[in-house]
Amino acid sequence: MTDHDLNNLKNLPVPPSRRGAREAAVAVALQAFKTAQPRAADAPQASSDARQVKEADEAIGRSRPIHARRLIAMAASAALFALAVPLVLLQSDRHSTNQLHPGPVPHPSNTDRVITELQPRAADGDQRNLSQIAAAPRPPSEAVRVPSSGLSLREDAPVQVIRQADPDQVEARRFRLAELDAIRGPDISARPRPEQGRERFDAIGPNPVKSVAGEPVSTFSIDVDTASYAFVRRTLNQGLLPPKDAVRVEELINYFPYRYPLPGKQETPFQPTVTVLPSPWNPANKLVHIAVKGYDVVRTQRPRANLVLLIDTSGSMAPDDRLPLLKSAFRMLVDTLQPTDTVGIVTYAGAPSVALEPTKASDRDKILRAIDRLDAEGSTAGAAGIQEAYRMAEAAFDKSAVNRIILGTDGDFNVGITDQHTLKGYIERKRDTGIYLSVLGVGRDNYNDALMQALAQNGNGVAAYVDTLNEARKVLVDEASSTLFPIAKDVKIQVEFNPARVAEYRLIGYETRMLNREDFANDKVNAGVIGSGHAVTAIYEITPVGAPRLLEDLRYGQPSAAPALAANSADEYAFLKIRYKLPGEENSRSMQVSIRDGLQVSAVDQVNGEVRFSVAVAAFGQLLRGEPYLRSFGYNDIVDLATGAKGDDPFGYRAEFINLVRLAKSARP
Amino acid sequence: MGKEPLDDDLVQKAAAGCESAFKALVVARYEDIYRMAWRWVGSREEAEDVAQDVCIKLAGAIRGFRGQAEFSTWLHRVTYTVAMDHLRARRRSLWDRGGQILIIRRPKSRADDVPPEPTSPTPEDDVIGQDLWREVRALPPQQRDAVLLVYGEDLSHAEAAEIMGCSESTVSGHLHTARKRLKERLVAAG
Repeated sequence: MTDHDLNNLKNLPVPPSRRGAREAAVAVALQAFKTAQPRAADAPQASSDARQVKEADEAIGRSRPIHARRLIAMAASAALFALAVPLVLLQSDRHSTNQLHPGPVPHPSNTDRVITELQPRAADGDQRNLSQIAAAPRPPSEAVRVPSSGLSLREDAPVQVIRQADPDQVEARRFRLAELDAIRGPDISARPRPEQGRERFDAIGPNPVKSVAGEPVSTFSIDVDTASYAFVRRTLNQGLLPPKDAVRVEELINYFPYRYPLPGKQETPFQPTVTVLPSPWNPANKLVHIAVKGYDVVRTQRPRANLVLLIDTSGSMAPDDRLPLLKSAFRMLVDTLQPTDTVGIVTYAGAPSVALEPTKASDRDKILRAIDRLDAEGSTAGAAGIQEAYRMAEAAFDKSAVNRIILGTDGDFNVGITDQHTLKGYIERKRDTGIYLSVLGVGRDNYNDALMQALAQNGNGVAAYVDTLNEARKVLVDEASSTLFPIAKDVKIQVEFNPARVAEYRLIGYETRMLNREDFANDKVNAGVIGSGHAVTAIYEITPVGAPRLLEDLRYGQPSAAPALAANSADEYAFLKIRYKLPGEENSRSMQVSIRDGLQVSAVDQVNGEVRFSVAVAAFGQLLRGEPYLRSFGYNDIVDLATGAKGDDPFGYRAEFINLVRLAKSARP
Repeated sequence: MGKEPLDDDLVQKAAAGCESAFKALVVARYEDIYRMAWRWVGSREEAEDVAQDVCIKLAGAIRGFRGQAEFSTWLHRVTYTVAMDHLRARRRSLWDRGGQILIIRRPKSRADDVPPEPTSPTPEDDVIGQDLWREVRALPPQQRDAVLLVYGEDLSHAEAAEIMGCSESTVSGHLHTARKRLKERLVAAG
């Protein structure tokens, strides 16, 4: 190391930029230039100028309603709803939609605008928030609950949510932390520490085995995301085993369409079907298989769809597996629409632009032309894409239709809303207006996985990872109705086990979706959405009373003598309760099933093929995660189980799965 | 960046609202912006994103410029700021993640998820002097910035001081410490 080396630093080669990225940047800048107003040079730079955000925050602080709401929000859930920030950050150009007339348009300063725009809405939220807090009595020991599996928790939050929350919840959260750690990898400027994140993760892992005597009730939110499966598939196809943190068993299971029994009548949006079967990997145990199948609205009469496609056209989207793939995907989507549906397109390349005002699907050519035009030429300066998309969706809002934004991105929102809390809060508030948000993730980097999940979870939508055109077809065409039309939201499942019959249980997967017992009846707690025709599967492994247990009796616990039971529940393993809301309703409905001996099947091979296949997928996910419960059950057993349950498999998904299991046998860690 | 006299004319025309001049200016400067960004963030994709941000900012600010000198300083400063935001967001995300909180900016090519021995070499692997870059980026931020501005961007200590918002002597001090430290590190590494 000499001064000569350093003097030479400026001449060291730099990997060249890609042409696509360069062209995109030039095009975007040019559009921004065209629509820039004469005052723009004097105006403060938007984006992530911290000082400006602070100023705006202070300005907002002076306006009482928002301030109050922020305090309440912080105290209540430790969520940081920085309500006003997005509008400030985004150097909004409300006029950018009017691309034909880029003339000077006077506008008030950013700060002024924030206040005028936000006050009324914030005041509403304020009151709602206050009344919610007042109306919801809580046991003193329980800290305020955070909706949706702790999405808004902050590590350094002032409220002790973590300490008092259910251990599972903490577990799930830590799982996330470790997951993020593991997939993020070390900062390039830090010294390599590849093993640390993983080790921390290993210590936490799957939902633990619970003793029915200690904790008879299990509560979780359903999850219809499928992103994990697509990611696992991609890794295995490269001959590598996926990092186990990336494997979410329930997302693997729910990737597949299942022909579970449909609800008999339209008034009940879905129907649970329960099967009790011997556990294939532990004959002493049983599996309680809960299958929920949503009503398929397309078969009868589906509502109109108002879609806004929000498409990331930033530099990183240039590769073939990103923007070009999304364009093909959206072309396919357009072909599935009905004439009265509408499509609008907002592109986002650091600055958003309206590529297509909402247009009836009957004008198919116009929509397809707009999609074809997307790439270098598409962008203009203005507000962040997501706000523009919501603006468009709100303008075209139709109460009787399904209003949905579909965001296609590689997850890199590097301009615009830079504060994740802000974005999350924004989407959460927009969810309440009845606009759904779904996310299609593309690109090679699984970091976006966390982003997509969180966005979709907050927006009552589905997160899917699209790596091939086939996958796009699955999500947008074959499953268009479930992707587009929700039939029930905030769907929660609670199972109470009968201690006279069941000694221990564990839920397979859903680690990140666990809820507290009291969340079940609390309609304020957000949970998953079921789309039209969706199938959702949850599997418990139970240890019947008398079979070998994993947990020992507590020395100071209650005597393990079976509690006296009402005669009518003697044949029950458990009692299943499901709560859900119909789209557009605020009060939950519920349904119940008692899980009796009559639902029991005595041998695995007598079980319905759909159930058997889902059990095979569950085993695969657990094996990939290295979970300890499978004993000697291996890849070959999974192949056998799945092959016997392939059914007619019209799209080849199940055949593909069996191939993946074979690949996993020889994959490198 | 932007020392050619050509810029002067372009900057003035672009500032006056001439679209083709602005386009030519962005095309001419893009690679410089990108290279500077890469020196800080160390990955092509991230550098491309930083460069795009800078180009957009340029569109909003160009009308205020009268000549090349001012423009050139501005470009350095904004590229520096955006790259720093980028790095900060990357770092902040380590602390800010509370559960599934979204990380909006992310290290794009840091793929720890892609297990070691990637099947195809990343563009970064082809770069000579990668060790030196890595060591420079591992310096404490102030030292790193001083080194990259003075040695990487070929700026004077005074210019670097202005961009970093500190005094010239502070820059010199950072450089001195950085040189010493780099020497130790690279010797230790063999």
